[in-house]
Amino acid sequence: MHEVGLARSIFAMVAERAGGRPVSCVRLSLGPLACVEPSALAFSWQVLTEGTALDGAALQFLDGEGDSLVVREFEFAETV
Amino acid sequence: MCESCGCGDPDSTVTLTDLGSGARTVLRAPHAHSHPHGQDIGQLDHAPHRHGPGGEVIRLDEPVLAANARIAARNRGWFEGRGVLALNLVSSPGSGKTTLLERTIASLAGEIEICVIEGDQMTDRDGERIRAAGARTVQINTGAGCHLEADMVASAVETLDPASGSILMIENVGNLVCPAMFDLGERMKVAVISTPEGDDKPLKYPHMFRAAGLVLINKTDLAPYLDFDEGACRRNLAEVNPAAEMLSLSARTGAGMDAWLDRLRAMLASVSGTSGSARA
Repeated sequence: MHEVGLARSIFAMVAERAGGRPVSCVRLSLGPLACVEPSALAFSWQVLTEGTALDGAALQFLDGEGDSLVVREFEFAETV
Repeated sequence: MCESCGCGDPDSTVTLTDLGSGARTVLRAPHAHSHPHGQDIGQLDHAPHRHGPGGEVIRLDEPVLAANARIAARNRGWFEGRGVLALNLVSSPGSGKTTLLERTIASLAGEIEICVIEGDQMTDRDGERIRAAGARTVQINTGAGCHLEADMVASAVETLDPASGSILMIENVGNLVCPAMFDLGERMKVAVISTPEGDDKPLKYPHMFRAAGLVLINKTDLAPYLDFDEGACRRNLAEVNPAAEMLSLSARTGAGMDAWLDRLRAMLASVSGTSGSARA
């Protein structure tokens, strides 16, 4: 269940830059050989973000290359 | 970094025990992090960003395992500079990694120095076995964690300070899933399959066997009592990783050990620039 640890890493990376502002979604790219189960990662993410500044932020998966798992971008909830 | 550090989990403390001195160091403790979990507003200016149709979008393009990869690269450079052969031993629990190490240490005693990093969730039972076999050993207990990470290896290497021309064996936590993802800075991952596990292991855990450069079939002495087909195992490995080498042996009886020891000597010679003999 390393997805829990990965979710924590993603949380730290996004929370550091979001600075407490609400986030609507986080986009990851995931390669076919990344050894990561998207549903397990999404579940871990949901449990981990509950009641935090990132509560409600959805994880979106984009196609990546090889064994890569990259945080591409995140989007704030409010419209600019 | 937060990789499986188990911030909120009980039993999440990661410890390092030097079995020579008995000194125990806490590498990670719950709620005592050296890594940041979040910072105040004011960091946003550093990140390139653009405005999308929805909310503001912040571009990161940062690999999730970037922090581990950086430390692993530093470990790898250290091993190369020092002329140390570092191998990451991976397998499911009970495949015989520790027994293999015991016999390897005994067989190369007086010829090649071997240091060992032992990874287990709990206890220093394996570390004690390795120390009794005659190798300097550091035991890392990962608590709730299911694999070793590069920073744990960096801490262990500081304690062990392996000599030039020696071999550092990193016995990972018994687990064929998670350790495949985490680069420790090793020269090669060596995967162990034991005959009772079945010859289809490479097909069932392809990520790990794709990451391994060498696969050892252990417990060949039990093969007559099992349905294990070595030819099928080799074909299954070739299917997921055609480049991987495979050797079969019994760490218990010693059968087949010579080919493994010769492989170790050859790999050590290639990293240390010697014929494999220990240099002080």
